[in-house]
Amino acid sequence: MNQFIFKNNNELTIGVELELQLINLQSFNLAMEAKDFLRRLSKADCPGEIKPEITQSMIEINSSVHISYSSLLAELRSIRNVIAAEAAKTHIGICGGGAHPFQKWKVQRIFQTKRFENISEQYGYLAKQFTVFGQHIHIACRNGDDALYICHAMARYIPHFIALSAASPFSQGVDTSFDCSRLTVVSAFPLSGTPPWLLTWSEFEDYFQRALTLGIIKSMKDFYWDIRPKPEYGTVELRICDMPLTIEKSAELAAFAQLLVHWLLKSRPALSKDIYLTYLVNRFRASRYGLDAEIIDPITNEHVSLAADIIQICQMLEEDSHLFNSAEALKKIQAAAMTRDNGAKWLREHYKNLRSLDNTVRAQAELWENS
Amino acid sequence: MDLFPHFPIHLNSLTVFGLTLLLGLIGGEIAKRLYFLPIISGYIAIGFAVGPGGFNIVNPSVLAIAHIFVEISLSLVLFELGRHLNFRWLYRDYGLLFTAITESSLTFAAIFSLVHWYIGLAWLQSALAGTIAIATSPAVVMMVAHDLSSEGPVTRRTLILTSLNNLFALVIFTLLLPLVQADHLPLSTKVAHAVYRLSGSVFLGFMIFLLAEVVAYLTGKNKQNQFVLFVSLVMLAIGLSYIFNLSSMLMLFTLGIAARNFDYKHLLMEIDFEWLARVFFILLFVATGVHLKLHGLLAITIPILFFILVRGAAKTISIFLFSHLSNLTQKQSLAISFALSPMAGVAIGMSNILADFNPDFGHRLLLIITGVLTVLNILGPIATQIAFVKTGETAIDRE
Repeated sequence: MNQFIFKNNNELTIGVELELQLINLQSFNLAMEAKDFLRRLSKADCPGEIKPEITQSMIEINSSVHISYSSLLAELRSIRNVIAAEAAKTHIGICGGGAHPFQKWKVQRIFQTKRFENISEQYGYLAKQFTVFGQHIHIACRNGDDALYICHAMARYIPHFIALSAASPFSQGVDTSFDCSRLTVVSAFPLSGTPPWLLTWSEFEDYFQRALTLGIIKSMKDFYWDIRPKPEYGTVELRICDMPLTIEKSAELAAFAQLLVHWLLKSRPALSKDIYLTYLVNRFRASRYGLDAEIIDPITNEHVSLAADIIQICQMLEEDSHLFNSAEALKKIQAAAMTRDNGAKWLREHYKNLRSLDNTVRAQAELWENS
Repeated sequence: MDLFPHFPIHLNSLTVFGLTLLLGLIGGEIAKRLYFLPIISGYIAIGFAVGPGGFNIVNPSVLAIAHIFVEISLSLVLFELGRHLNFRWLYRDYGLLFTAITESSLTFAAIFSLVHWYIGLAWLQSALAGTIAIATSPAVVMMVAHDLSSEGPVTRRTLILTSLNNLFALVIFTLLLPLVQADHLPLSTKVAHAVYRLSGSVFLGFMIFLLAEVVAYLTGKNKQNQFVLFVSLVMLAIGLSYIFNLSSMLMLFTLGIAARNFDYKHLLMEIDFEWLARVFFILLFVATGVHLKLHGLLAITIPILFFILVRGAAKTISIFLFSHLSNLTQKQSLAISFALSPMAGVAIGMSNILADFNPDFGHRLLLIITGVLTVLNILGPIATQIAFVKTGETAIDRE
């Protein structure tokens, strides 16, 4: 039960996990290079932590814990520079984006660790299809009760993060017509979805224990929820975002999440189970239409433009942005909502101009490495 | 007009050609079931079995009809090989460039010394032997990698080093060849011919690249169109090489290199020749098998053994010498050394060209090179397969 003691954090710190694509610079398909590339990176002087992911064409970078947007951005930039330099030496590319546009899942290879082999054994072909790339944002909480409050209070804002980060319009060689196609892959897992409607940590402990006893899970990691508490870190982990095309956008999203959580904990809007009446529809609309989506607020019974809602939220959060040095990030999020700019739009525009998906990936890699 | 067949029936070339292909396919499948053997070894074995060294059903003259197909497959290999030569990578990892230069020069120097001082051939013959020894067989490396779905740092490095050692070998060979010509020609003519062949092949290869750019611009980035485009260009290049007496190999290599490094607007696509290439490659390797000569091999066992050992050592030393600059592990370095061991099938081409130019001159050299090739055609693909499998870069486990 050690993993279930919620680590208490007094400061509202943030950290991110970013899943990156390794690219073969000849074909611009995914490159099976994770093992060798991680070995190379282990010798480089790189802040944060770099880990393998489920298949051999993915790596995950973890930032340290940060109180401000500016320090997170600085660290992510230095991680990016080290990774880009090492990638150049061994002649592979690194990409952001939630899905590789034309990789074929069947040729992906599972990274050889016990955990990933178990996942592969348990989920069959879903494990290889899980070659999609997300950004997870950790926001520190004072205690487990706060963490559960945030998990449910953030349910209203999940579509906002989907639309802002959406960067997977192409999948398996076709335009999916979705801005974020990655989430349909995640949804196939039986333990995906939302956390149960439990509002105190002791109730959640019982739930976890029961899932453990029933053999449904082995650890919290087995819950692929859109948002989940992470007791050993003392954080809430927002897992809904596509990996953006740039490090800068990753930091902006984390800053936006931090400000939003700060506001939620400060103003404590009442929770209602009704939020889940429209949760899946809103989640779908944000994936499908991105920032052009219209979402349904089940509390006010209103249909709201997602972009307009983001702009309004940014204005609301502005007064506290100085606390985390994140005024610049907030402005950029607001600007993205106003111009309806996200990674999906960028990718579609580049595909239109470049007329091929391999050239689009080339541009994508150049953007991530040099932004 | 004959209404019925005459007996006894004589197989015509096309029938033999079709049968060869079929037998090659079966040979490949048999090899596939023997896990230690690469599929191409099956093609080579079938070639040997039906050739003069085996049941003598197919002899090289009957295979003449397949000559153009074999040439097209070699040309596709050379074009693909050129596309593996990425200047940007060499610029960023100078360890790789040092390795390539050392690997080619050391192999040349070691084999030159061996052939000149130990075997006792003249310096020009020794230089040609050294040149032929530089090149790793691109067809073997590519096919083994393809058949095993091998991907990763060792596979990529093996391919670029193969590309570079073939480039060096082709350039040196093209320069040396005119010197082999019959002696009645003045030296100035020989030099002019060498310069003409080298610069002409590179120039025409580059012109074909420019043509590819224009056509690709007009037809768009479409896989079907570009497939036809590349196949046409390969045939065009072969044809032009005959017209202008140039090296089709160097021309196609130049085309590949230019397509990789000078396609600034990214108009050209990566094309997998897949089914077409498979047919051509079966023919290529069956033809290789047909040309194998085990007869007389025993008499020159020692020189052949020394040749292979010296060549292997030269390549291995060069790779280990600069492996730290490219941040390679010992296992990776050893695997690359192993993977580079097949000797270029192009070498057959080189030796044949040599024999055409001056039959007396080529004969002794041809004997040794053929012997080395015979052994390396048997062991080389296995070495390459072991290298890729042991480094865990293959999707298919064939240990």
